[in-house]
Amino acid sequence: MKSRFPIVIVAICFLSIALSSCKSCSKDKDNLGEELVIPDSLKWDTPLPMGKPIIDELMQNISSPIETAALIKGLKIPFNKDYMASTKQEESFNTSFDKALALGIYGCDLGYLNMYEKTSFVVDYISVIKRFADDIQVGQFFDFETLKRLATNKENLDSLILISQQSFNRIDSYLRETNRSTLSAVIVAGLWVEGTYLTSRVAQTSNHPRIRETIGEQKTILGFLLPLLKAYSNDPNMSKLITQLEPLKNLFDNVKITYELGEPEMIEVNGELTFIQKDKQLVDMDDVTYKEIISGIQTLRNSLIKL
Amino acid sequence: MKRILLAIAIIWVGIAFTARNANAQSEEELVQICGMIAGEAQYLKDFRVKLDAGDPPPVQRIPILLKKDVKYRFTVCNSKDFEGKVVLQLFDNNRMLATTYVIGTGKDYPSIDWVCTKTGAYHLFFSFRDGKAGLAVGLLSLVGMM
Repeated sequence: MKSRFPIVIVAICFLSIALSSCKSCSKDKDNLGEELVIPDSLKWDTPLPMGKPIIDELMQNISSPIETAALIKGLKIPFNKDYMASTKQEESFNTSFDKALALGIYGCDLGYLNMYEKTSFVVDYISVIKRFADDIQVGQFFDFETLKRLATNKENLDSLILISQQSFNRIDSYLRETNRSTLSAVIVAGLWVEGTYLTSRVAQTSNHPRIRETIGEQKTILGFLLPLLKAYSNDPNMSKLITQLEPLKNLFDNVKITYELGEPEMIEVNGELTFIQKDKQLVDMDDVTYKEIISGIQTLRNSLIKL
Repeated sequence: MKRILLAIAIIWVGIAFTARNANAQSEEELVQICGMIAGEAQYLKDFRVKLDAGDPPPVQRIPILLKKDVKYRFTVCNSKDFEGKVVLQLFDNNRMLATTYVIGTGKDYPSIDWVCTKTGAYHLFFSFRDGKAGLAVGLLSLVGMM
């Protein structure tokens, strides 16, 4: 037994080398010709349920500032600094709940600034966001120095959007991993309120039908946001926020959204594949409801930033 | 002598495994690769997918909200450290709307575009072909408004 020991050691060494090089065995087997078997778990007859875990997951992109800003810019509507929350309001946010809400509000404004490449204002907004993020112990995920450099030097503006967006995604993930999902939900609420507020301000100066439809389809988004927030309603601050959102929900009850289903079209051009959805979304609301929703979202947002 | 040999063996094994892990692709690297494949589309979100081998193939399901009049790009990247090749499918309730792997042609696409005409909740399904184990990243990005 004693004399075999060195052999065992040598064998272990060879085994470790074999294991370390084994990954090359598993590379690049080209199975493109084989057909995909659709897993049984993908086949079902009833609509997918939208329970709390699903809504929790949805929270991650309930309201993207990039999409809101891209819509507004895409309609050739000029930038307006007055639409954004002033950074001078920073002192109004004192508790962790308030600061998370502010993180969402100013985060949305940052998306609006980035989309319009208004880098001269960006440093002010990222400074405020960084302070709020630090105060709720997520500042390490907000890459302030890189964002500041990109904005100051007007370097690669795509990177400015990328890093801003990634910072918010990391903050969201971290809060949820550390059982602080309440704050994550509040950030999402702030993003939604500010995004809808920006759209409502645009709606007052533009009669573009897409803006009107965007306001109306917030009924769908609020339909996901409210149940998410209600999951944390044992927090008194959250309960108060829900109470503030309820009148808006009641206004959206007067908005009728219907759908006509169609089969998506698949087009391949130069090797690039595009699927075009053929469903139609029809949003119907009367002028009174439209004006009341615009007024309601502006009143709510201004009260949240304590104007 | 016995102790020295044992120490050498432990160090050797440690070095071998460290070297292996150093070469392994991290999820962050995959996100960067996906970003390059997505091109000029604006990053919105990334999804990290790691599934074990299985029959039927395991599936990771992720709900997302997509907005009307937005052209989205879905990009997928496989880790070279696993055999599995990822397939992304977009579902709306029980309808498959888009996929990175078209069974009819047998073609695999690193990215697909989706022109959305209905604001609402959708589901992304990630699985690995033939139920092999895999690690992959999916990227959602915004191409533009329609």
